[in-house]
Amino acid sequence: MKAASADTIPRFERQFFSSRDACMRIGDGALGGKAQGLVFIRDVLGTLAEDVTRGSEVGIPRMVVVATSMFDAFIARNDLWELALSDLPDERIAHAFQQADLPVEMLGDLRALMDEAHAPLAVRSSSLLEDALFRPFAGVYSTKMIPNNQPDRDTRFRKLIEAIKFVYASTFFAAAKSYVRATDRTTAEEKMAVIIQEVLGRRHEDRFYPDISGVARSFNFYPTGHARADQGVCNLALGLGKTIVDGGISWSYSPAYPKAPPPFGSAADLLKNTQTRFWAVNMGQPPEYDPIAETEYLVEATLGDAEHDGVLDYLVSTYDGPSDRLVPGIGVAGPRVLDFAPVLVTSAMPVNALVRALLAACDEALSAPVEIEFAITVEPGSRRARFGFLQVRPMVISDERVEIQESELSASGAIVASSAVMGDGVEDSITDVVYVKPASFEARLTRVIAQEIDRRNTALLAEQRPYVLIGFGRWGSSDPWLGIPVRWGQICGARVIVEATLPEMDVEASQGAHFFHNISSFGVSYLTVHHRETAGIDWACLDGQPAIEETEYIRHVRFEDPLLVKVDGRNRRGGIWRQH
Amino acid sequence: MKTKPFNSFELAQMQFDRVSEQLGLDAATRELLRWPLREYSFAIPVRLDDGTMKVFRGFRVQHNDARGPCKGGIRFHPMETLDTVRALSMWMTWKCAVVDIPLGGAKGGVICDPHNLSQREQEQICRGFVRQISRNVGPAVDVPAPDVMTSAQHMLWMLDEFEILEGAKSPGFITGKPVGMGGSLGRKEATGFGVVFTLREALKELGIRLQDTRACVQGFGNVAQYAIRLYQQIGGTVLAVSCWDQEDQEAHTFRKQAGIDLDELLAITDQFGGIDKAKASDLGYDVLPGEAWLEQDVDILIPAALESQITADNVGKISTKVKIIAEGANGPTEPQADATVNDRDIFVIPDLLANAGGVTCSYFEQVQSNMNYYWVKDEVLGKLDVQMTSAYIAVSNLARKEKLSMRDAAYAIAVRRVAQACRDRGWI
Repeated sequence: MKAASADTIPRFERQFFSSRDACMRIGDGALGGKAQGLVFIRDVLGTLAEDVTRGSEVGIPRMVVVATSMFDAFIARNDLWELALSDLPDERIAHAFQQADLPVEMLGDLRALMDEAHAPLAVRSSSLLEDALFRPFAGVYSTKMIPNNQPDRDTRFRKLIEAIKFVYASTFFAAAKSYVRATDRTTAEEKMAVIIQEVLGRRHEDRFYPDISGVARSFNFYPTGHARADQGVCNLALGLGKTIVDGGISWSYSPAYPKAPPPFGSAADLLKNTQTRFWAVNMGQPPEYDPIAETEYLVEATLGDAEHDGVLDYLVSTYDGPSDRLVPGIGVAGPRVLDFAPVLVTSAMPVNALVRALLAACDEALSAPVEIEFAITVEPGSRRARFGFLQVRPMVISDERVEIQESELSASGAIVASSAVMGDGVEDSITDVVYVKPASFEARLTRVIAQEIDRRNTALLAEQRPYVLIGFGRWGSSDPWLGIPVRWGQICGARVIVEATLPEMDVEASQGAHFFHNISSFGVSYLTVHHRETAGIDWACLDGQPAIEETEYIRHVRFEDPLLVKVDGRNRRGGIWRQH
Repeated sequence: MKTKPFNSFELAQMQFDRVSEQLGLDAATRELLRWPLREYSFAIPVRLDDGTMKVFRGFRVQHNDARGPCKGGIRFHPMETLDTVRALSMWMTWKCAVVDIPLGGAKGGVICDPHNLSQREQEQICRGFVRQISRNVGPAVDVPAPDVMTSAQHMLWMLDEFEILEGAKSPGFITGKPVGMGGSLGRKEATGFGVVFTLREALKELGIRLQDTRACVQGFGNVAQYAIRLYQQIGGTVLAVSCWDQEDQEAHTFRKQAGIDLDELLAITDQFGGIDKAKASDLGYDVLPGEAWLEQDVDILIPAALESQITADNVGKISTKVKIIAEGANGPTEPQADATVNDRDIFVIPDLLANAGGVTCSYFEQVQSNMNYYWVKDEVLGKLDVQMTSAYIAVSNLARKEKLSMRDAAYAIAVRRVAQACRDRGWI
């Protein structure tokens, strides 16, 4: 993908909503990785055949990109560099940014935009380094949704500028700084463009959300059944894409086999493991004023709310208890299961065909496997869908091939042995292991544990020491009861991540889904270990090493000799061995 | 033969007559609008520091308030006349109308020379002025502001006296107050930025990339400094500025071929906007005669100093390369020179429009003061941009549609709006 400067899209016109261009920019300089991806793919969308779209409207939601020259001016004119690069807490940095003034050159355009825009907007980061490094900074910087439904345009304008300043500030949050440090670049080199984009969706009382949001990848690191890795994988969820991006429960399937039954033993199992809550933009009473919170205008709702909103027709099956089976749709009474069967199994709408066509088109355009994000709304009373393309990122796939025999997993010296891994390769320079102590672990403490790990990560990054990270439950879970709720920047110094279970934390593994992009692009190995596995983790060996630092919940040890890490992605085996 | 002294009110009436002819206004409307609605002339007795009493003359002229409370500055000037104040009040009416803010026009003045008065004496004049006029001004009636030789300090004295007389706080009585004492953020930038907002729109209309343009600016006071700041921030190059040298009692032009460095020049500028000649020379600036600013091969001229600077005598010196004149000052182009400029197809953004950012922001201050709730700077400047841009587009559309000059179109819009308001109220 060729680097795009701001000149590739037209300057903002104050009659934006009546203009033909759905993509305009304010300012000069660069557009950042995210915006550049969308601009690049704009033309690809036009090539989709009519038989694929079947009357659905496919496009990029209307957007304005505030290019990086405005970020430069904002930082320089408000003299924010020193503060931004300091180690002040995120809240202080965010507060200082809120007090600063946006460059006057952009204010009139933003105000004119808000005079016309009345639908919810997503204010999203689009980083320059993301672009320069050809590396996705997934989940590193902030996105802010604003309802933009206040009758007073002054208020709408104020909310927009608060959101932009918040996204600017997130460039300098601690987790982002750690992340950039892990790339061998510096935060001082970073510049941020901002995408102001219509949120695709419909309003239902106080909630605004798309019927379906999705993330599809053209390469699947964990193929199951007949599916091959190169046939990709797609995750669908109800509501905003935050559910998927944050690693919540979503519907995962192979685009090659959309009708394949899910990997659950029974329909009852399925009921327990499908999405029951979803995210929407809060269009109701203004919540607590908190301009430095990413979720200020978001609300979590239940499947019951969605059914009340009348959006489940195409999205769910209903569990029929007596027959222990699922019936597509909501025709009968019973528990609803978000399995998207009406669109995937009965082909009520061409969702899967579109996903496949888009993956293929983007793969070809970028000459690499890709990840795409999208949102879909269905027009009430019809099968016409509006398909909004939100993001495209190249995937980094390792060429390295390693083969591990099953016997090696139980060989002497194995500290960790896993039969569910992501990645490929050999690493023999790591001496440090940071692990969550199983004896003192409790699910209610995961937030505290996340902070302790963050501090260790920062220290090890400063010493430029890569490390192995071992913990329980899903790394990066947004639900602290399902795992340790870290952001990527808080663990970005780890080169090997182990996701383990305990009897009291026996959740379905995320297999790195939350940090999928970061893991693959940084070449991080991800090993999943269930506590019932025979080989598993040699806790005694870890506990026997002297601690470099030990807190109540985590322990940092250093081995005299580097550990041997081997990961065989094809056979899904991997492990960590001591080298004597 | 003794020549008749210049009378600005006669000029203002002539301009109005011409526009009313173009608009075909009826006689009653013409009669109403070519004169102020109300005029107050009063005495302000002040005990001077030496113990003697002196009686100063003050004026407040309210030209028209059909569209809203009157708005206009108070000038302290030894040569002040009632006719000058009348003219300026009429121009305020048009200026408020052209940018479509709901205010009428007024002006005030006191015949005095602040250079020869102590701070205490000036305070007494301010308080005396308010005592005389307090019944006829106020947040919903007539809102004064600083002007020639009056400052934020004078406004605070006047506000304080008004509040004493009213027996209540009334920050919306006056504008131009310091930030933190009822003033608005963005006010100091407003006029200069407003000039550049209109200039930016003009360049778009003419199909010229701002980044490819060079400009010369006359003046180095508040308006000029902020106009230069924003023009440079959005990519323009300022080749030269001119300013008055108090010591030499003449103006100089400071030129740098690569473009002036605003911050560098500000560091060697005194409080009156005078640039240190010797230091500028050391910094590599060519120090040229005062009028050299309008002789340069640039695309844009921004007169942002005093009135009557482009005259019949010097208009011929303007380079053939000049495409736009953006009038940051009030009345910088004399009528005879204006005709030549039009003949040469130089695009003029008239003062009425170009420098209306100041009064627009004063209106914002008034609104904020009346609410006693103050906006962040982003909000002030965002609104200012939209208001100025909308005004520019309205003037430009009319100029194209009716084949008028931008100046005539601006006047036409303003007079039409005020006349309509008078009719709507049933005055005529």
